[in-house]
Amino acid sequence: MSTTFRSCFVPTGFILGYIAYLLLGALVFSAIERPVEETLKSDLSSLKAEFLNLSCVNATALETFLEKVLQANKYGVSVLENATLPTNWDLASALFFANTMVTTVGYGHSTPLSDEGKAFSIVYALIGVPFTMLVLTACVQRLMHPLTYGPISMCQRRAGLQPRTASVVHFIVLLFLVVLGFFVVPALVFSTIEETWSFLDSFYFCFISLCTIGLGDFVPAEKPGQRLRALYKISVMVYLFVGLMVMFLVLRTFHKLADVHGWTAFFQLPSYEEEDEDREPIIEQEPDDESPEAEKASVKPLDPSSQVSYNSINR
Amino acid sequence: MRYTRLLTILAAVLLYLVLGALVFGWLESSREEWAHRELLTSRMAFLQNHSCVTPYSLREFTEKVVDAIEAGVDARSTSNYTSRWDPSNAFFFCGTIITTIGFGNISPKTKGGQLFCIFYALVGIPMFGILLAGVGDHLGTLLRRAVAKIETLFLRKGVKPTSVRVISAVFSILIGCLVFIAMPTMVFQEVESWSLLEAVYFVVITLTTVGFGDYVAENRRDGAPLYKPLVWLWIVFGLAYFASILTMIGNWLRVLSKKTRAEMEELRAHATDWTQNIQNMSMDFRIPVPLDLNDPFQLQRRRRRKRHRHHRHHRHHRHHRHPRLSVVGLAHGISLDADVVRENGHLILGWPACKYTPGSDIRSEALSQSRSRRRLDGAYEVRPGSRLTVGPASRSVSRLELKPPSRPGSRTISRSTSESGTGSVSGSETPSKSWSEYEYDSNSRNSEDLESGAEGTLRSLGSQKDVPVVVVDSCSPPHPSLLDFFGENLAYIDESSDALSDRIKPAGQNRQRKAKRRSMTRQIPHSYPIGLQKEISNELQPPSHPPTPPPPT
Repeated sequence: MSTTFRSCFVPTGFILGYIAYLLLGALVFSAIERPVEETLKSDLSSLKAEFLNLSCVNATALETFLEKVLQANKYGVSVLENATLPTNWDLASALFFANTMVTTVGYGHSTPLSDEGKAFSIVYALIGVPFTMLVLTACVQRLMHPLTYGPISMCQRRAGLQPRTASVVHFIVLLFLVVLGFFVVPALVFSTIEETWSFLDSFYFCFISLCTIGLGDFVPAEKPGQRLRALYKISVMVYLFVGLMVMFLVLRTFHKLADVHGWTAFFQLPSYEEEDEDREPIIEQEPDDESPEAEKASVKPLDPSSQVSYNSINR
Repeated sequence: MRYTRLLTILAAVLLYLVLGALVFGWLESSREEWAHRELLTSRMAFLQNHSCVTPYSLREFTEKVVDAIEAGVDARSTSNYTSRWDPSNAFFFCGTIITTIGFGNISPKTKGGQLFCIFYALVGIPMFGILLAGVGDHLGTLLRRAVAKIETLFLRKGVKPTSVRVISAVFSILIGCLVFIAMPTMVFQEVESWSLLEAVYFVVITLTTVGFGDYVAENRRDGAPLYKPLVWLWIVFGLAYFASILTMIGNWLRVLSKKTRAEMEELRAHATDWTQNIQNMSMDFRIPVPLDLNDPFQLQRRRRRKRHRHHRHHRHHRHHRHPRLSVVGLAHGISLDADVVRENGHLILGWPACKYTPGSDIRSEALSQSRSRRRLDGAYEVRPGSRLTVGPASRSVSRLELKPPSRPGSRTISRSTSESGTGSVSGSETPSKSWSEYEYDSNSRNSEDLESGAEGTLRSLGSQKDVPVVVVDSCSPPHPSLLDFFGENLAYIDESSDALSDRIKPAGQNRQRKAKRRSMTRQIPHSYPIGLQKEISNELQPPSHPPTPPPPT
């Protein structure tokens, strides 16, 4: 009975906590952003008034003009170009767009305009998103051995640490390296390449992209006079893909850590376990001799019934 | 997974991206050009009509406007000012951050806002992930309970279990689609005055968490105050539903890729067939064997062994003939090699349904009189393979097929069980049978079939050309197997989302659902000894991996 109670209590507790968290965020954001927005708004209206005063333009003409500007902006057409406009849909940009769609980042700086484009993107996303998640999961599974199991077992053997401490140590080191290599360094690179981005802007961009939030307020390679635009876009694409893989890896490592420490049983989450079918030793020659033992040593599933990680595809 | 496979998958993803890029470029560039031209002409017209405006001041003005637009300000309405950062909109924004949808129609512009956003997301995204897992689990259970009732209804009417499973899967998808896609689409069409395509586009882009932001359900007119919270609730549940759908599609892709791998491995695995058979034979000495060396059936068995050998070559041909039904071909190519069975045993398990229908009795008889020896062997190969659930089954099969002295003995066994078998065969359709009973029935049934088949073969040695071949094909796996293939994966998805709630329920309730999924093999780690397997599988339901067969005997 207590388990039923706990199974009801824990999710409800989570939901309540989630709502409270959202409220907190809402209050903080609105407190921070609202004044800025107000000043911008008043600036704009005064500018409009100035414009109307100085010139022979009447309000309605201005309004129609602004409508067109907004419309074009919605299409991703920047209003400030004069003659030669690098299109949003050359091969590199379209590739970038497909990549953002398929990794669910979804900046939105360029979006399908035509009806056929929208219909196609529906189908494309429905197939491409699970496909990409599958690929990322597969890669991460492969990467787990050299990057997680190997070091943990090495820690245990050489330094003689307990599995729990070894996994914690390993996780901290991994986190540090990931932050350094995938956030700080790319942020520096972006802030130098993009003239208008500060370091914080670039860091914010890296974070928002690698979490697949993808707000779209900062998008690289969108400046009009960008040199080597195609190459830049492709390299950003590669960075996003690899970075996403690394984030998955960190998440998996954390999941294993939670397993070892028994947190998953407490939260009644699906506990992490090895994907055995990918390492079937009989037919194919899998070279990992060490990892089964290391894995058994470092992963003690707390429930005898093995459960699959629920979010293995989704996150 | 091997590196070559990984590389091929990566190449496939790249190819997919390039294809998408080409299609999008082709579809969109013309429209973009048009928009650009429109803008230029209107600008020229404006400058011409209002000659007191210099291009320079106009450019300055538009720059400011664009900045304001990017900040999220609506440049049109200057009269009544509604902030986009009032608490309800900010709540919605936080929701999009945490679910990683990230529309981007509003985004923090200040340094403080961006910093806070980073830390907020760092904590919020994992939390939402946990919430999503829990919600998805309960949602899956709820959905399945609703569908289970429909399932029992169908089962009572005598529909085959596999098709029932597929029907139930289709039902659950449909129900989910209705609640999470169709209804919101209509609501959005109404409230946001979008077209149908735009509403569906918004729903899909949101629920896959891509979240472009070109369409956002914010309803800037003052609609019902409950609108925003309802949208947020829909996003949470819809995400859970979509996650399960995407997981299902991903598992199909994964299982498909594993099937191809297994198929290619199977050709290599034939070499180990005979060693495995001999091993199995050596385990059969428990059964008392009445010695009868002049047994006519022994001769027939020797003949069948030869045909067995021939048929292995035939199976290769079968493979190549049906490359598309690689799943099926694999099933056909079942050998007693446990490694191969491991890959695709779960598939075979769906076949018993084909045998258990009332028509299958007649079919088995007709099968025994089928035209060619090879086809007959094919049928034999098929059916023994279909019984290879776990060790005992395979042992029984090998006992029947390969060991000459034990054959009469097995016959007695089969006869003794046949009464119970026939009695319970009809009951095998009902969900209340347990795993082990089912297996036992399958064994008895299998032996029965083989007996009758063998006798039929003897009788019809001369008349093998009479019966139409189509009978074999009608009972052959293709259609049930494909159904089973999908059905099992669907069941796996159901199972994985059902696991936690099942764990809580008492084991008695589990029997019912478990028996319905009896053809699902449980994921049993290699480290577990065989003896424990049955217990574990009879235990509470862990959600298994994508259907994998049991480890070797």
